[in-house]
Amino acid sequence: MGRLVEHPILNVKVSGAAEHMVFYFEDQPIFALPSDTIASALIASGIDIFGFTEHEHARGFFCAIGKCSSCLVEVDGVPNVRACITPVREGISVRRQIGRGKPKW
Amino acid sequence: MVNEGPTEKKHVKALVIGAGPAGLCGAIATAESIGDGKQILVVDEGIVPGGQLPKQTHKFFGHEGFYASVRGFEIGEKLVSKATDLGVQFSMQTTVAGIYEDSIVTYDRNNNSVDEYTADYLLIATGASERFLVFRNNTLPGVYGAGAVQTLMNQYKVMPGESFLIVGAGNIGLIVAYQLLQAGANVKAIVEASSKIGGYMVHANKIMRLGVPIMLNHTIVSALGEERVQGAIVARVDEHFKPIPGTEKEFVVDTICLAVGLQPSVELVAQTGAEIKYISELGGYVPIRDENMKTTADNVYIAGDLSGIEEASTAMIEGYIAGYNIAQKITGQDLSEKISTMKDELIEFRKGPFASKVREGLKKMNILFPSGGYRERTQQSTGPNGKLRAVIECPQAIPCNPCETSCPTGAINVGKNINSIPYVDYDKCIGCGVCVMKCPGLAIFLLQEKEDYSIVGIPYEFLPIPENGTIVKLFDKDGRYVADGQIDKVSVNRKDKTHLVFLRVPKGMENIVRHFDLAINSEEYVCRCEEVSRQDVEKVIDSGITDYEEIRRILRIGMGPCGGKTCRNVVLQIIAEKTKIPISESKLGAFRPPVIPLPIDAIVKSRKGVDKDE
Repeated sequence: MGRLVEHPILNVKVSGAAEHMVFYFEDQPIFALPSDTIASALIASGIDIFGFTEHEHARGFFCAIGKCSSCLVEVDGVPNVRACITPVREGISVRRQIGRGKPKW
Repeated sequence: MVNEGPTEKKHVKALVIGAGPAGLCGAIATAESIGDGKQILVVDEGIVPGGQLPKQTHKFFGHEGFYASVRGFEIGEKLVSKATDLGVQFSMQTTVAGIYEDSIVTYDRNNNSVDEYTADYLLIATGASERFLVFRNNTLPGVYGAGAVQTLMNQYKVMPGESFLIVGAGNIGLIVAYQLLQAGANVKAIVEASSKIGGYMVHANKIMRLGVPIMLNHTIVSALGEERVQGAIVARVDEHFKPIPGTEKEFVVDTICLAVGLQPSVELVAQTGAEIKYISELGGYVPIRDENMKTTADNVYIAGDLSGIEEASTAMIEGYIAGYNIAQKITGQDLSEKISTMKDELIEFRKGPFASKVREGLKKMNILFPSGGYRERTQQSTGPNGKLRAVIECPQAIPCNPCETSCPTGAINVGKNINSIPYVDYDKCIGCGVCVMKCPGLAIFLLQEKEDYSIVGIPYEFLPIPENGTIVKLFDKDGRYVADGQIDKVSVNRKDKTHLVFLRVPKGMENIVRHFDLAINSEEYVCRCEEVSRQDVEKVIDSGITDYEEIRRILRIGMGPCGGKTCRNVVLQIIAEKTKIPISESKLGAFRPPVIPLPIDAIVKSRKGVDKDE
């Protein structure tokens, strides 16, 4: 797991470190690129368990295009956010979702 | 009071759901016909428009009119800029949450807001989702849709694992395997439950020559691991696709890609009241529609994979057909000529053997497509010996003709029916290699027999780009090592990155060698100190030098810090193997002092000491 550093077809060069941003996953800082989704940034950091079902089974992403809802995480306390199609934002706090998550009213 | 809600309904002439190839082409066709793109809104869940095109790094089949030989992500960019130039409006990160009798409700994730729309016409191009497969531990992180891996890898440039097992040998499985190899991953195998490869043979050949086994009549029975994938168990299946006990094999992989097909995403179209029917040939439940892509619901059109699982070229064409029909209704102008041109394109694309399922499926809606009328026999001749020339290994009738249209001398014939298997006119072929770089299937090679060796030119889309003169390992079409060869020269294709590598191969192997490996990491070293490989030693012996002392002087073998303690016997062994003279009878070479590296100052100091004493 990690970012591609070279590719025969695609341009994988990342411009300067200034463009990196930081968000938090389970209180740990994660470096991300502005082009990242929450899922891609986590995978790039070697994290592929995004949550647990109510029966304590680990879950990661499955379809990566927003269709399967396997990658649900909590973002700033809001559950059921699809990590695969949600762009990363500076400073957000992402947590593993357990079961259906607890909605905030 | 009705409509007391907080939002006012917004109205558009045409609402397009889905910004993939079908939706984009529909929006383009409508916009260019009504002359006002602002009346058209494209809504899509994704972050960037293009649907699944941005993750496609391979070149598309087809013909120039629909971007054949252009890589998928570049097609996406072209279509998006075309639509944008026409003024088409986009609402990205926006999901159509429901289609009601009086409005279409969208949810904009970015603004966390809900909007209501009404539209005169609806083009639904929601595409498809990946089929799931039922086996033990199939929900473990590390079991991913093949398309999902493509998204991560090609769109976000992130690798979700290192070693992969792929389930399904259709085009998606084959393409993903190739793209994983390009990204430097290890693909252990592709398992396929049926008895034949479902995808194009040219795609399969691309990975077979790279040494990836395709295990037919095999399926996955279990993913291994506690919290994430650490392996997979596959087994042979019987004629009912049931695993046969006792045939299990274990693979150590960290990622399992499911490429077992797609299913149309019909949820939204069903809410319009359009009739839905199960047609297995089209991928499952699909909307009933006519040849103008109109569903049974008023003013509701569809296009692309939603109307039946196929591929991006036909999705684009269907998008145009739907878009022109919508424009015709909006403006009242007659667009029948444009519509029938597109229908003719569809007929062309669906004549071949791979479209038979789609033809069968559409027949169930009373939409008939003709088949046949193309050349099925492959060319037997590989041209005149000694001439540098193209050889096309494209064994199936697939709708594709960039070889013909790119040839500067008109030497390649596919013909009007683009499903025909290409033929080379060897009087006209000049061996320029343009077709090798253009062929989306990477199925064209250059051959030339020389006095002492032969030349094979192969399309190459990997890193690193080899240096002229490099010794390489040569592989056949099944990825079996057959001989060593040398890089003769490389035509670097900076524009679209399919390079042409010319290999020197042993005479008579020009029809066998189809891949090479730089073997940078797989050298077998004989001498650790001086990094001399077995190959280096064998080459010197082959040149006629069989004396250890002489080999030592040429290769510096045994002249490193160990003084030959590690390598001498190995070299003698290789000499014995090659010359068939037993070690006991060959010359051992001298053992020169010092037998260990000795510090000069120790010698000098001791010498001084001697001087002092005197």
